[in-house]
Amino acid sequence: MKKQLLTTILVATALAGAGTAIAHHSFAVFFNTDAKLVKITGVVEDFHFSNPHGTITLKVPQGHKEITWRAETNSPSLLRRRGWTPEVLHIGDTVTLEGWPARDGSRYMRLRSASDANGKPIGQPIA
Amino acid sequence: MSRNTPTSVTTTVLLPALALAGALLTACSPQASSPAAAASSPAAATAAAHPDFSGYWNLDMKVPVDPELMSKVAPGTVLLTDTGPAEFPRGEYGGLKLKPAALEKARKWDPKEQLSIHNVCRAPSIIYAMQGPFPIEIFQGERFIIMKLEYYDMVRIIFMDGRKADANYPHSMEGFSTGHWEGSTLVVNTDHLEAATITNNGLDHTQDARVIERFKLSADGRSLLATQEFEDPAVLDNRGVRFIAWTRQPGQHVYPYDCDPSFAGNYK
Repeated sequence: MKKQLLTTILVATALAGAGTAIAHHSFAVFFNTDAKLVKITGVVEDFHFSNPHGTITLKVPQGHKEITWRAETNSPSLLRRRGWTPEVLHIGDTVTLEGWPARDGSRYMRLRSASDANGKPIGQPIA
Repeated sequence: MSRNTPTSVTTTVLLPALALAGALLTACSPQASSPAAAASSPAAATAAAHPDFSGYWNLDMKVPVDPELMSKVAPGTVLLTDTGPAEFPRGEYGGLKLKPAALEKARKWDPKEQLSIHNVCRAPSIIYAMQGPFPIEIFQGERFIIMKLEYYDMVRIIFMDGRKADANYPHSMEGFSTGHWEGSTLVVNTDHLEAATITNNGLDHTQDARVIERFKLSADGRSLLATQEFEDPAVLDNRGVRFIAWTRQPGQHVYPYDCDPSFAGNYK
């Protein structure tokens, strides 16, 4: 029971600190908050900025080929208050994304932070 | 102008909600009559005695649980600690005692069902929605209080005129809410809820769930404090309560949620 409570507290702390918010699907079920954060640099192939979550698709070089990573953002209506807009990312932009990995091992993450090619954060952290 | 511009979205989604709120408040509130008439109205005196909850409120996890509100909660009710972004892991329900059938259903819960194109834009009921990390906006009148939740564009109407739900009143995620004042505390009773999640991990309430909420302002008037008690004997052997607090942010408004079901494609 104590372990479960601790897990809950950790999930809450991690999410609150990152300003993350769930929509209707369970964050805790789909993303591993105990795992090391994933950090990926790549080129934006697609960007959807609509609720319940935005999605960013990245092409990431790996050896002589490219692999695809996708990141799920917080609710765009909340992100708008932190400087995000539908125009904050463009196809062809180089960005670095950091987030919690999907529990199923796929190349899918829940976004914690993003920065542009110069290392400048995209959007503002939660106040 | 393109239909996809933010201005257009605001016009098509937010303005009807605001118009609804405005129409209800203007048409039904004694506060909307002339100052002279209002001054002579007994209802105006009552209105002046009530705190004004109108405005934009953002969830604030730093506000401590209010002992006075908690003292009104029925004995034996468990305080859930998942308000805001926190969520209970699978198999944990924060002290709620599940009936065997509810527990079995929760164990068989498939979280991917939430992410079907049919369900991904389906709002939860107010039992889960009110505690979420999204802002709310309140339009307060004498006979109606409107709560606009940013989450899934939900709009609650709290009837303050003593009416009862008619025999054919449908169940919905907002339910049927009636309110009354107990001193400076707004007490809201809600039923006619559609079945929906309680903890977002497989535990659902039935359409017979009942909710009691108490809202009051903090001593400095900057925060809105609430308890939300719920009971559903069909699935729970005890009752649950969440403490929820929001801080007022003048000049802001809730945004349209305008959910896009194509998000479900990420979870095929």
